[in-house]
Amino acid sequence: MKRSTLLLLLASVIIAGLGKAFWPTAPSTHAGYAGLGEQASGFAQAGPGHTLAFPEDHGPHPDYRIEWWYLTANLESADGRPFGVQWTLFRQALAPETGDNHATGDAPWQDRQLWMAHAAVSTPEGHRFAEKFARGMALPAGQGQAGVTAAPFSAWIDDWSLTAESVGSGFDRLAVRAEADDFAYRLALIAQGPLVRHGEGGFSQKSADGQGSMYYSQPFYRVEGTLRLDGEPIAVTGRAWLDREWSSQLLGATQRGWDWFSLHLAGGAKLMAFRLRGGGEGDEGAYLSGSWITPQGEVTALDEESLRLTPVETRDVAGRELPTTWRVEVPARGLAVTVSAIHADQWMGTSFPYWEGMVTVQGSHTGEGYLEMTGY
Amino acid sequence: MLQLTNLTKTYPTPQGPLHVLDGVDLRLAAGESLALMGESGSGKSTLLHLAAGLDTPDRGDVVFEGQSVSALSEPRRAALRRQRLGLVFQQFHLVPSLSVADNLTLQARLAGRADTRWTQHLLARLGLAGLNDRYPEQLSGGQQQRLAIGRALAAKPRLLLADEPTGNLDEAAADQVLELLRELIEESGCALLMVTHSARVAAPLDRCVHLQRGRLAEAGP
Amino acid sequence: MTTNATHAGLLHTTWGTLSSHYRRHPGQLAMLLLGLWVASALWSGVQAINASARDSYARAESLFSAQLDSVVRRDNQPLSLDAYLTLRRAGMPVSPLVEGEMTIDDGTHLRVIGIDPLTLPGESSLARQQSDAAALRDWILPPHRARIAPEQVEAARDDSRLPPLETDPSLPPGTLITDIGVAQQLLGVDTLSRLVVAPGQSLDLPPSLVRQSAAALASPGQLTDSFHLNLTAMGLLALIVGLFIVHAALGLALEQRLGMLRTLRALGVPGRTLVIALALELLAIGLLGAVLGIVSGVGLARLLLPDVAASLDALYDTDVASHLALPWYYWLGGLAVTLGGLFSAGLGMLWRAARLDILALGKAQAWRARLHRQLRLQALAGAVLLAVAAWLGWRLGNRPNPQELALGFAMVAALLLGASLWLPPLLAGGLGQLSRQLRSRPRLQWALADLQLQLPRLQLPMMALLLALSANLGVGSMVGGFRLTFLDWLDQRLLADMYVRPTEAQHADVIAWLENRDEVRVILEARHAEAPRLDAEGQATGQPLALFGITPAAVMQRNWPLLETATGRMAAWQALSAGNGIFINEQLAHRDGLAPGDTLYLRGPQGPVTLAIVAVYPDYGNPSGEAVLSASYLAERFTASPGSLGVVLRPDATRDVADLQAALGERFGLSGDAAVDQRAVKRTATEVFERTFAITQALNVLTLAVAGLALLTTLLAQAGARRAQLAPLWALGVSRQQLIGLQFGQLVSAATGTALLAIPLGLGLAWALVAVINVAAFGWRLPLHIFPDQIAMTLLLAMLVAALAALLPTWRLWRVPPRQLLQEFSAA
Repeated sequence: MKRSTLLLLLASVIIAGLGKAFWPTAPSTHAGYAGLGEQASGFAQAGPGHTLAFPEDHGPHPDYRIEWWYLTANLESADGRPFGVQWTLFRQALAPETGDNHATGDAPWQDRQLWMAHAAVSTPEGHRFAEKFARGMALPAGQGQAGVTAAPFSAWIDDWSLTAESVGSGFDRLAVRAEADDFAYRLALIAQGPLVRHGEGGFSQKSADGQGSMYYSQPFYRVEGTLRLDGEPIAVTGRAWLDREWSSQLLGATQRGWDWFSLHLAGGAKLMAFRLRGGGEGDEGAYLSGSWITPQGEVTALDEESLRLTPVETRDVAGRELPTTWRVEVPARGLAVTVSAIHADQWMGTSFPYWEGMVTVQGSHTGEGYLEMTGY
Repeated sequence: MLQLTNLTKTYPTPQGPLHVLDGVDLRLAAGESLALMGESGSGKSTLLHLAAGLDTPDRGDVVFEGQSVSALSEPRRAALRRQRLGLVFQQFHLVPSLSVADNLTLQARLAGRADTRWTQHLLARLGLAGLNDRYPEQLSGGQQQRLAIGRALAAKPRLLLADEPTGNLDEAAADQVLELLRELIEESGCALLMVTHSARVAAPLDRCVHLQRGRLAEAGP
Repeated sequence: MTTNATHAGLLHTTWGTLSSHYRRHPGQLAMLLLGLWVASALWSGVQAINASARDSYARAESLFSAQLDSVVRRDNQPLSLDAYLTLRRAGMPVSPLVEGEMTIDDGTHLRVIGIDPLTLPGESSLARQQSDAAALRDWILPPHRARIAPEQVEAARDDSRLPPLETDPSLPPGTLITDIGVAQQLLGVDTLSRLVVAPGQSLDLPPSLVRQSAAALASPGQLTDSFHLNLTAMGLLALIVGLFIVHAALGLALEQRLGMLRTLRALGVPGRTLVIALALELLAIGLLGAVLGIVSGVGLARLLLPDVAASLDALYDTDVASHLALPWYYWLGGLAVTLGGLFSAGLGMLWRAARLDILALGKAQAWRARLHRQLRLQALAGAVLLAVAAWLGWRLGNRPNPQELALGFAMVAALLLGASLWLPPLLAGGLGQLSRQLRSRPRLQWALADLQLQLPRLQLPMMALLLALSANLGVGSMVGGFRLTFLDWLDQRLLADMYVRPTEAQHADVIAWLENRDEVRVILEARHAEAPRLDAEGQATGQPLALFGITPAAVMQRNWPLLETATGRMAAWQALSAGNGIFINEQLAHRDGLAPGDTLYLRGPQGPVTLAIVAVYPDYGNPSGEAVLSASYLAERFTASPGSLGVVLRPDATRDVADLQAALGERFGLSGDAAVDQRAVKRTATEVFERTFAITQALNVLTLAVAGLALLTTLLAQAGARRAQLAPLWALGVSRQQLIGLQFGQLVSAATGTALLAIPLGLGLAWALVAVINVAAFGWRLPLHIFPDQIAMTLLLAMLVAALAALLPTWRLWRVPPRQLLQEFSAA
């Protein structure tokens, strides 16, 4: 849920032009948020009352403004070198589907959904990424330049895809692929545990005012596949984490950015934790939240009482100071670990840039995972 | 006021150097009128040019009112000419595109001291009243030379240098012009150095000198 | 004792006295201004056209089509959405484009381009702006947005079909860009015109699609540069001719004021003050002349621009705004050039004024000695320039390449300038020679001697006349030669009586149907493909080469023009028919230094293809290199899709093109562009050509007129002095009629002498244009044609100009009463 939220915000910024409020360092976007705010009223709102239903909720929710399918994988080559993979598809509705004088009609180009995708490979030494855009098209399901179908599950943009093996398998067995100028990957994912609902049965609160998103994950993937870097194939195995999130309500204007963790801990437990910065002087107004996930997939929600996230060390990345080493504590679970980036150079220099990379966990627990940082 | 000392001027010619002036000494007092006579090619005009600062001597000095003219820079010599000297030429050298009135006041205006009353007086005295708007080509020779004299005097010079002012005029016109010239000189108290080859023209002046082969011989009045 | 105030007064009085000359002789001032005016008007007119057209190209080039490769269907039909999506889903970074023409309410035609900003590659002016999130939203959501070139924004505002408009000065004139969905709606289509892709991206296309590289589409900037270079050269010539007038007028004004200048110096005006006053006078005149000139230059450009724009549109498929859009530096540049020209002409005057010898007051001028010295100097300088021109001509005459275009123009400049410097010595020598021969004919001898006397003043207008005449002759020869060659070539190339463009599906049926018609003599099939060039090692080099397939039928072999062959026409055609020979166009041969006998390596779909170059053919009007193969071979080895069919009718056929067109329309639904009468094609091509050169001709005529004016003004300016010279003759018993006849004869013979020199010079210029400039600029060489009637016309024109120019002063002399002649006699 971590990066998703960030990226949710990111995507909104990018596509809907909300950048300035959340994203002081982002390329300037024009004013005009007021109109957007009005339109927001036409969207469905996430709330604690919603119940998630599968496989329907694997598919898109066009009534909500923003949504994503977000996969990160911690991998290892046969010779033990660490690799990371990211595959993300964002959906953004530019306007509610109803209430406009101009009929959108049947013309395939007259669609309000925009799609954006990021793919990246972190190598032991570096980082490669790519970005794609597409617009939705009023075409029968499964067609179009980009889209998502619930059953059989398939998410794609151009030749990048995240696809289920068969109609009934939901998220259990997926294949993911992406290809860019300087990297490509094909991975097979097999779920080793259940889907995990964050927050209150899938409603994840994002600020003290109660706004939030629908958020569930599949953090239990075993992965096997091949990366191709500079034409050289590298066989890899490892673990992956898939986030699904959708929402219409964006965060407060004073929040500056996010720090998001998804950690695979030795022993099989998982930790999702995020910190929304801003809303007050320094980091005082930060909003903390997370989920402790047992190896069996049982979830305990964490809040500022039960979770502590502390930056320890910063590095200069792409001209910004980023905390690449963190202290993460969940006292109730006896967790007190240092989370550090494998290396600092995992910057996503996409239209709206952020840091997304693999991390290692040391301390009371060992492990690995992904960290996302935005708004620096 | 004008003192020429040991003036020497040589021109190169295909036949060898020509000594136009060969150690000429001459003094002219304020208000004095002097005729400079001599044959053609005796160096009269060269002497006049040197005195006017139009040319510089090879040796010797021209001192005007205590100031060495030869030592002055070109712009200063030009200033001396327009402020303190008046020049009258045999060929008149009026500006053909200026009217009579504009020609008359030209030097005075260049000197920055045009004086309307004096100009009007001159016009009347020179017999040019009523011809203000004519152009030089519409005047007779005598009228043109009178206008040239008027142009020189309009700037109230301290010294008038005249080079054969009547050379282009018939006798009657010449007499008239000379008469007028002398009268105006007296009126304005200006000195006169006039180059002429005619004894008749030289006679009425205070003094007369002869230039012969570049040397000066003084003759009585 | 001198203060700043009296200095200002000094300058003021000096200036007033100097300018009193122009008050007394307003004709001279008018002549000076006229010279400046025409010089700067022609120059700035040409520059205005150039500036405006260049702006249009720059905008066209910044648009995607010049920067992005295109993907189209081989049969040139529009693409379906599915075809696009299939490529995208296969990972190919293509972006869809819809293009078409629409007419808005007021009748203006717009080129509508629909884009998908989300997939459009790169930094082209299309992709710009959409990086802004809010702008992207506005673009994609109703009511959408459209960007439009500033020229059409007003007209388009009232059309309710169009989305809200944003002016985009970077768009080519007549272009509107909007979202792809909107464009489809506006144009009433649901297909895509083409796909675009960044030039570096590799694509793996299905056989039905073909990629066209951006570079293979001619870049208008490169192409039209040479056109504008020609215009600029014409403008420069006009400027120089105009400056001759200025020079003559200034020289005259100085000559006449020399006495005044000396008097002023004697009266005590320092030399520096005099020079400053003269420079101020020049500046004032220059500013006035430049402003007049620039304003009328813009007027001239307005007059010519629609033609220029139309020609460029048709010739190069470039949209050129047909109204002027002038940047600030244009105005400043015009002013600077005019003032610079004036001061270069006036420098001599200032120099002479600064070095004025006061003591020369009233001294007679040793004009003859001075003239001789000057003529010697001119002859020397002219010889140096001509030698430079000859050397450059020898260097460039063989195989110039485009970088040497500037050298080519330098050569032309040296040739023209050297020849004009030689004109006065030649005239003087000729006159001296003649007058010695004519000792027994005193009146004629006097006339010649007198003409020599006038030479210092007449030489400048005569030089101007020489330049104008040779330009007229040179450009005329080139255009005439081009016309002959071009029309000939069109005849040869457009062999068929009609051209049919069936769709791919119809292709075979149409051929079969045509073959069964009695009136059809032969069908010439044409195909088109593109293939990357390889070097001998098989590595791809440079841009893909455009390949054309022709049918080597007998009629084709007889008529198709070839410039060079390896082993004769027959052998060349045999090799082409057999599929192992290829013809290349002259442009490719020039550019890459290829000749018959060389080998061309190409990459075909089935692997490398090696072909022997067996011939070079002329390809006028085409900027890029191309090659020709037999159509069947092209189809086989390069999978070229079917193209047009040329249909040659039997000479004795009872049915004509119109009948066949009608039948084709009925049977296959082919009409309009799909079945074209060859005569119409040729007519269009000829029209385009004629229009282009009409502009050159117009400038030519203007230049000649300016030279005539130069002569006239000089004659007018010296008319007074001339009368004083003629009066004694009249007094000696030559009648006025005879005097007038003499004067007329003098001028006409001087002009004839000038024209005689202009003939070889004009031919030299024509040679330089066709053999050096043209090859360097366009890549093709034209045969040099000499048109005797044109030469005769040049001679006649020269005499006519001289006679016309002499008319006014002569008429004035005629009108002078004897009394005034008498006065002038006594004054002399």
